[in-house]
Amino acid sequence: MSEKVKKMVKITVDDRTIEAEEGAILLQVLLENGFEIPYYCYHEALGPDGNCRMCMVEIEGKKRPQISCDTFVEEGLIVRTDTENIRRVRRGILELQLVNHPVDCPVCDQAGECSLQDYYMEYGLYHGKVPKAEKLHFEKHLDLGRNVMLDQERCVLCKRCVRFTGNIVKTGELGVVERADHSHIATLPGRKLENGYAMNVVDLCPVGALTSKDFRFKQRVWFLTSTPSVCHGCATGCAIYIDHAKTKFEDDTIYRFRPRKNPDINGHFICDEGRLSYKALQENRLREARAESSSIGFEEAAAQMKKMVESWQGRIVVLADANLYIEELEMVQIFANRIGGKLHAPLDAYRDPAFEDAWLKSAMRAANAKGVERLGIDTSMPSSRGEVLLINFNHPAAGDVKARRQIDLLTHRPETFADLTLPIAAWSETSGTLVNEAGIEQRCEQALFPNDPVPTLMTWLEAWDLGERCLV
Amino acid sequence: MGFAFTEENLRELEALAKRYPSKEALMLPALWKVMEQEGFISVEAMEAVAEWLGVSPMKVYGVVTFYEMFHEKPLGRHHIKVCRTLSCALCGQSGVLERLKERLGIEVGETTEDGRFTLSQVECLGSCGTAPVMQIDDTLYENLTPEKVDEILKELR
Ligand code: SF4
Ligand code: SF4
Ligand code: FES
Ligand code: FES
Repeated sequence: MSEKVKKMVKITVDDRTIEAEEGAILLQVLLENGFEIPYYCYHEALGPDGNCRMCMVEIEGKKRPQISCDTFVEEGLIVRTDTENIRRVRRGILELQLVNHPVDCPVCDQAGECSLQDYYMEYGLYHGKVPKAEKLHFEKHLDLGRNVMLDQERCVLCKRCVRFTGNIVKTGELGVVERADHSHIATLPGRKLENGYAMNVVDLCPVGALTSKDFRFKQRVWFLTSTPSVCHGCATGCAIYIDHAKTKFEDDTIYRFRPRKNPDINGHFICDEGRLSYKALQENRLREARAESSSIGFEEAAAQMKKMVESWQGRIVVLADANLYIEELEMVQIFANRIGGKLHAPLDAYRDPAFEDAWLKSAMRAANAKGVERLGIDTSMPSSRGEVLLINFNHPAAGDVKARRQIDLLTHRPETFADLTLPIAAWSETSGTLVNEAGIEQRCEQALFPNDPVPTLMTWLEAWDLGERCLV
Repeated sequence: MGFAFTEENLRELEALAKRYPSKEALMLPALWKVMEQEGFISVEAMEAVAEWLGVSPMKVYGVVTFYEMFHEKPLGRHHIKVCRTLSCALCGQSGVLERLKERLGIEVGETTEDGRFTLSQVECLGSCGTAPVMQIDDTLYENLTPEKVDEILKELR
């Protein structure tokens, strides 16, 4: 079906006419056209499962309401999404879903991004018929491993997590056990989640049953701002949201990375290692400039850098990190030319075959390795013959280059300080473009606006008046 | 504690395979064989069955826990199955169950220390007209009251 020419047909939804592809899943079409349809079990990446019954709509000519995830678009279909009857049906299904639900929203990390909560506010009865004491009880704090916590009482049994582990990563650790109202999600006794993409089930879970051990109890989701960016964990360049907040008395802080849909790269998912890489990004940051081991002001530092470069008589080697944005790399390239330095961005330092897998993870653990190649930058290690001044823009293998004098421009604190060390803004604190392994360009927006920002790489190079070619 | 089908059971299962559309469809016959062979289905057995069927052990675990006839632990000599479905629930199943728990000193899913009785709850036993009911081993007991429970247990002792 996929390769056939798509036939577009007209359907009517709540008196609006919509064009849609024949045979498409009605629920997906409705969602894409901005209709608010409650649903749990359907997911674009996992397909329909038909188990939650929340996505009911009325189809003209059909006696009873139909689930829209199992209805397919055909010419002339007449759909109603918001009739009195549909609202009654949704309310009924919700009521059943809440029979054994603990209603512990005030202490639940999903609150604010929970489908159950949202639908309840929309359709709820606001008074339960089942007294709390009579509810069935299950495990509330099951550590499933890999940073995933399960609260069986909050589960609506949509099986998204089961389908993800079964059909997408194919490790099959999760399943539904027991039956009827005793059904719950579990792993095999003595077993845990054991795949490197496990934390995606936390995003997939529409309610607070699966939460991230890393994120839980850290921040309320309504305080978070989501900025579109790209993971720097490897050359795949998965699209992400940086979820961050600047709360009272605190600096702008990243609380989590979440996958952002990009059908050409990562679909709806990211790997766990990339997801958790926000920690290393914001830990141990370099915030002050140093001349050897003493702190100096930024102006003083800029002047010293200029002086060191201009008074140097020997060879100059410039190293650039393959995680820098294209715009930054270009500027470094212009800078190297201007001062007569030889620019290298050695890529071997980023190769990690053990990280690679058949899905998203790439052995090239630098976000802009392709960008480096595109700009024609030398990707070999520079030789360190003779008297060398090394100007290092955050490259991880700078220590392997023997240099007489060294200027480091770093995002993170080094173990030992060079002759001159300048702090630069990390990728989350500036914006720019990356080219992933497949050659796809992606823009990263500036997420963090720290109280005391450190200069960007561009700012340090202003002293050379290199022009405005690169707008960031 | 590993698990392996006996040669004979394996042969019988292989023979059955021809009658099923896929190997996965042999899940229930395979689990029955395990019950026959061991009296219960251990996690090791589930793993062995999963490997033999080419499915994840979790899938087998889901099936084992879904059906009341499969057991994860060895049973007592007598297996008491109390119906917990609607008709029985409406006609006083809870009083019957409470009396059983009290007399046996165990909770649902447990076995008495002397290994005599295992207490379970099951879905509709198909005898709603004579609710509440329970089945002990292969015998159905109907129109139960707590008093009747006492008599029945006395006979089985
Ligand atoms: S744990 Fe979450 S994703 Fe899994 S079945 Fe329950 S509600 Fe669905
Ligand atoms: S696969 Fe690479 S880019 Fe994608 S999330 Fe993991 S580390 Fe990040
Ligand atoms: S989304 Fe249609 S039944 Fe769950
Ligand atoms: S409900 Fe108990 S036998 Fe049917």
